[in-house]
Amino acid sequence: MRYGTTIKVPFGPQHPALKEPECFLFEVEGDFVVNVKPRIGYVHRGIEKAFENNTYMHDLYLAERICGICSHAHTVAFTQTVEGLVSLEIPQRAQYIRLIMAELERLHSHSLWVGIAAHEAGFDTMFMYLWRDREMIMDLMEEISGNRVLHAINTIGGVRRDINDEQANKIRKYLDKFEENIKNYIKVLETENTFLKRTVGVGILKPSDAIALCAVGPTLRASGIKNDVRKDDPYLLYDEIPFEVITHDGCDVFARTIVRCEEMLESIKIIRYALDHMPKGELKVKAPRTFPPNESIGRVEAPRGELIHYTKSNGTSKPERYKVRSPTLGNLASVCKTLIGAHIADIPMILAGIDPCFSCMDRILIKKRS
Amino acid sequence: MFETIFEIISLIGFIVFIILIAFFYEWIDRKFYARIQNRYGPLYTGPSGILQPIADFIKLLLKEDIIPEASEKRIFSLIPIIYVLLPILALLIIPINGKGIISFEGDLIFLMFLSAMITLSVFLAGWSSACNFSRIGGVRAALQMLSYEIPFGLSLIGPAIVANSLCITKISEWQIANSTAFIFLQPIGFAVIMISLLAELELIPFDVPEAETEIVAGWTTEYGGGRYALIRLGKDLELVMASMLISSLYLGGIGQIFFIPPIVIAIIKSIIVLLVMSLIRALFARYRIDQVISGMWKYLFPLMILQIIIVQFIG
Amino acid sequence: MSLFKEAIKQIPKKPVTIKYPFEPGIIPPGLRGLPIWDMNKCILCVLCQNACPVSAIKMIPKGPDAGIVYDLSRCIFCAECADACPKKAITITDKFELATTSKSELIFHYKKSQ
Repeated sequence: MRYGTTIKVPFGPQHPALKEPECFLFEVEGDFVVNVKPRIGYVHRGIEKAFENNTYMHDLYLAERICGICSHAHTVAFTQTVEGLVSLEIPQRAQYIRLIMAELERLHSHSLWVGIAAHEAGFDTMFMYLWRDREMIMDLMEEISGNRVLHAINTIGGVRRDINDEQANKIRKYLDKFEENIKNYIKVLETENTFLKRTVGVGILKPSDAIALCAVGPTLRASGIKNDVRKDDPYLLYDEIPFEVITHDGCDVFARTIVRCEEMLESIKIIRYALDHMPKGELKVKAPRTFPPNESIGRVEAPRGELIHYTKSNGTSKPERYKVRSPTLGNLASVCKTLIGAHIADIPMILAGIDPCFSCMDRILIKKRS
Repeated sequence: MFETIFEIISLIGFIVFIILIAFFYEWIDRKFYARIQNRYGPLYTGPSGILQPIADFIKLLLKEDIIPEASEKRIFSLIPIIYVLLPILALLIIPINGKGIISFEGDLIFLMFLSAMITLSVFLAGWSSACNFSRIGGVRAALQMLSYEIPFGLSLIGPAIVANSLCITKISEWQIANSTAFIFLQPIGFAVIMISLLAELELIPFDVPEAETEIVAGWTTEYGGGRYALIRLGKDLELVMASMLISSLYLGGIGQIFFIPPIVIAIIKSIIVLLVMSLIRALFARYRIDQVISGMWKYLFPLMILQIIIVQFIG
Repeated sequence: MSLFKEAIKQIPKKPVTIKYPFEPGIIPPGLRGLPIWDMNKCILCVLCQNACPVSAIKMIPKGPDAGIVYDLSRCIFCAECADACPKKAITITDKFELATTSKSELIFHYKKSQ
């Protein structure tokens, strides 16, 4: 349907559908979107420059603060990058602890996202249930690391805290409960008619488009493409642990929901395996304070997708250059593509579908020369 | 002379009572909705937070009042008052005390007119706000009205045909006289009136005109302070109106049973309706506007026609 | 309607919300809260000052004020100082209700001479 005239509807920088400040200017014709202009950079914090002014040990805490939800993934990427500068091997037990924390974080991030998706569809009860169950995972992480969000458990050369048997048993107990609930919720989401009406066939991202526009993480996997850094380029001990890469052929928001739900079940299996096979041993090895001139890249599968850290050292205790590519930036081009032709009512569903984290993404500001 | 004064005082007393009931119903709704979601709901203002809606109302009254520069100022500031007055007027017709305060033959039609006026005022509020979100919300409200208004009207007519009257009080009295309820006689009609009143009240799954995550607060986006307090009060009054209407038309009418006065019966019955409404609100996601319209015309309208045919030729 | 069974099950249950400020919150063992210096053990070695990523710790080596000045308003509770201390003079407590109304209450001055 063509109406001839378009209205401009701004989404953001302040909008209840976006939890962070970012502006999307929609050109709307009738009830359909014809054009999207994203404008990023509202929460640019100059983090990459700040990395260059601090020592590596202090940068660890800066890396943790790039993102609130995937703080552990950022420190895993950071430590992996910095340890890569001198090819430092960290002890097995430390790798297992990092892995367990990473998977716990995936559980909390995905359950948070599924709750948000339900909330965007107006399904507030589901949102409350998921966030209630997420609280169990947050409690576990608090007990292991000493803090709910900023775990500070990684350090260059290992980890700072151990998981004892009592904690391991508690994790097992909570995971059983969590798994049962998640299975229940998957059943609800797959059969609830109103939720299906809002998600099936909404925000279609074809597999060819997904590859061409560099989508990452669950967004890419929901388009039916098997791509996971944990399998493709194993870090920590992911090559030793059996797990499956979840894909879905739906290519829509519903597929993204189901992929995330089933990834949670997969993460639970990984954690159980890791707890059973964790060897005794040292927690960390001594790391150097200064690093010889070198370059290094760390790739990590954060809950939202592939996360890349890059650093260049120059022989001092401070990096010469530090660069972060967070998964949201990878998904932004694909979400703009899927938004065109969508209903106004579906905009929040599609935007939330990539699990956007704009403050992780906004580290660079591109200004046009006049 | 004294009779007139007494009537005026009792009318004012009735309206105050209705407003207090409205706040009480909002509290019940919030509390029950919260308990379904494993939360407490309002907790600290008064026992179990029963005074919370009143506290919210007073707080909003004290807030700064802003009228947008680009808005149609007269309509913009008039709408909240109309929005409160319309449901109060409707509640005067509904036999809360066994007999409507203004009860006349044909008041069912007048009630339909009032409910259409409520939606019209919503549309005008959205249109006069001069804000894109409000406009979209207002247009959505008007569109939604086109879908639910006819099934709603038909679901009111079903009981009217059987009771042979267009007066709500008489329909209610008919049910008491025959000691039956229209929910058993016309179950489809009951389902339709529930669904269309959910749409009228803008509750999930039909809260399209004020979908929070899509268009901020819909048609209420630009309202703040005292005007917003009035709009919230209007919503609560609509809730009372809807639940009272359903209980008088479909749940066996409102009248004295043994020694229990009709007002208590009215409150008990309408609270049951209210609880069902909040349960529905908790169980569903929001439909999209086109899905609402096509669903209403595809399913509700034929079902209601079927119900009327059954009533007319069989029942 | 698929949530109906689950929803009905919740109604008689006690809500999971903790009425936090009115009843005590749940503090897990090992919570990283306010660090406290034991000046009998402290040897003024500067290691905690160097370890702190946000320069919340400042050591005064000499004079009547000699000791540690700890600025709570800068602290990020990473517990690096406790790890760095060679004499285990820093203990991490589980105190987390640290908000005050004046900035001067956020600065702790631990003096060596006491």
